[in-house]
Amino acid sequence: MKHQPFQPIDGLPNAPLAMPKQTLERGSAFGGLFKAFFLVWQRN
Amino acid sequence: MGNRLTPGRAGWLRLLTLGFAAGVSLTAGTAFLDLIGGNRPVFLDWLRTILLVLTGFWLVWGGTIGLLGALSPKSRRLMDLTRPEGKTAILVPIYNEDPVETFARIAAMNRQIVAKGLGEHFHFAILSDTTSLEVAAEEASEFERLIVEPEAPGRIFYRRRERNVGRKAGNIEDFIARSGAAYDYAIILDADSLMEADTMLAMVRRMDGDPKLGLLQTVPVVIAARTLFGRMMAFSSAYFSRYFARGAAMLQGEDGPYWGHNAIVRVRAFASCCGLPVLSGKPPYGGHILSHDYVEAALLARGGWKVEVDPELLGSFEQGPENLIEYAKRDRRWCQGNLQHRRLIAAPGLKFWSRFTFVQGIMAYLASPLWLLLMAASLLSSLTPDSGGERWGATPWVIGGGVLATLLLPKFAIAVRGALDGTNAAFGGWRIIPSVLSEIVISTIIAPVLLGFQSRAVFQILFGMDGGWPATERDAKAVPLKTAFSASWWIVLAALAALVFMAYAGPAFLPWLLPVAGPALLAPFVIWATARGGDRPVSTWLFSTANERTPSSIIVEADAILASWRATEPVVTSGLLEVAVHA
Repeated sequence: MKHQPFQPIDGLPNAPLAMPKQTLERGSAFGGLFKAFFLVWQRN
Repeated sequence: MGNRLTPGRAGWLRLLTLGFAAGVSLTAGTAFLDLIGGNRPVFLDWLRTILLVLTGFWLVWGGTIGLLGALSPKSRRLMDLTRPEGKTAILVPIYNEDPVETFARIAAMNRQIVAKGLGEHFHFAILSDTTSLEVAAEEASEFERLIVEPEAPGRIFYRRRERNVGRKAGNIEDFIARSGAAYDYAIILDADSLMEADTMLAMVRRMDGDPKLGLLQTVPVVIAARTLFGRMMAFSSAYFSRYFARGAAMLQGEDGPYWGHNAIVRVRAFASCCGLPVLSGKPPYGGHILSHDYVEAALLARGGWKVEVDPELLGSFEQGPENLIEYAKRDRRWCQGNLQHRRLIAAPGLKFWSRFTFVQGIMAYLASPLWLLLMAASLLSSLTPDSGGERWGATPWVIGGGVLATLLLPKFAIAVRGALDGTNAAFGGWRIIPSVLSEIVISTIIAPVLLGFQSRAVFQILFGMDGGWPATERDAKAVPLKTAFSASWWIVLAALAALVFMAYAGPAFLPWLLPVAGPALLAPFVIWATARGGDRPVSTWLFSTANERTPSSIIVEADAILASWRATEPVVTSGLLEVAVHA
């Protein structure tokens, strides 16, 4: 088996690009109502 | 624009097609209700009719897409092969696959690109999510072969993630987050993908020429299949799929599909629209999005980008499962991914067609348990006395004939169209006839077995079982009878129970059950027999494809590189191995 000196793997360009998380889930209407009226104290 | 319709015309065609499918399935339902319940239907009659209309609708819908494809004009668009303006990263996400095969394909694609003088425009990034340390070490040593390929240093990259957060979608997201700004486009491949340099160049030129185009999907053809099952699937993908995709492309317009690979994306559009959230709750419905491709297509369309599929872009290949067990394993993963989409149907801002695509994907799997339910309800109804209602004379033959016509008509229409447009000549002329007929016969025999596997997958998911993320073994070929039996004994038992029940409760209806229960009763033999043939040279007679008869240059190149690599040991660098294993 032939051996070669170490070479770094990777080397990908350092050029970051933001990938913001998308909104896909709708809050349930009933759940929202429930929280708004009956779980008010949780806000405190 | 080829056979792509303007959004307005696509809208009308959608309405017509949906109306046609609804009309046909409702007519079939009315005839069925008359047959089973006359003018005095009972609860079970209504249930069976609703199930038939529901499942029938999707059957007719699929058939109509095939018919549309068979009747659609062929695109006259020529591939633009001038020098590209944009810079492209060819992304190859891998996950515990055979690195020798994957890297040989990358070497072949790279050689073609470099030979055309396009090296500076195309980079490769191998994005490993491999969890097996053994495979990871192999990847690192095989990369040594790749890095000495023409113009490879600084153009072909390999990196392995320690934790595969977000699975494949997360893997690509990680690349974009680190290096996305360096590229205009990304061609996303799978480990088993292969693409001609001209196809990739034509895709880039399409993106260059249309700044609103966010994603362009090709229709990959399955290659390198050896077993009976694999070859049948490869034939089906090479021969029928292009026409089905043409029909689908007409309906989808600019809200088209993304199948996760063999496609090009505009990196900035993808980055701004396709950051996938983790869904609330636990798997199978919560957590990371499994079938991310449909969702990414929907998000791009939501962002105002065009998402198109082009069935006329040739030179795009992939490999498929070689036996029913591997197929069912992949299906289990896709099933969970598609059922998870029920959480996203109402996502804010999506286009109607994106929502419909989610429903279609869900129904592709829900249809199986619904068929099963229809059969169970029919078995039960044989216990209840006839309500004695008046009938206007629909017979079981009318219903059976309608189902048969829905299944067969598109395939026969494609065969006729193929004879007229020269496709059949590329597939061996008259040899297409036994191949089409055998495909119909074998797919009919395996359908009840798949029905069993898909129904089980749906029930498992409904009961909250997470199937995980098993890699598909595309090399798994022959299946011993014992393995086939242990995978499908429950299908045999269910078929036996149904047959015994029917023999006692309604022997007159036994012949109607046999086409489904018969193959299901023989499920282990069906799995075993269709997985045979992998150890023999490929037959050029049955299921012969155009690419087998005249292989594309990229297939020849990849096969030659693979053969030479298999014959020699890789050059191993101990430091490199260590980095790969501990990455």
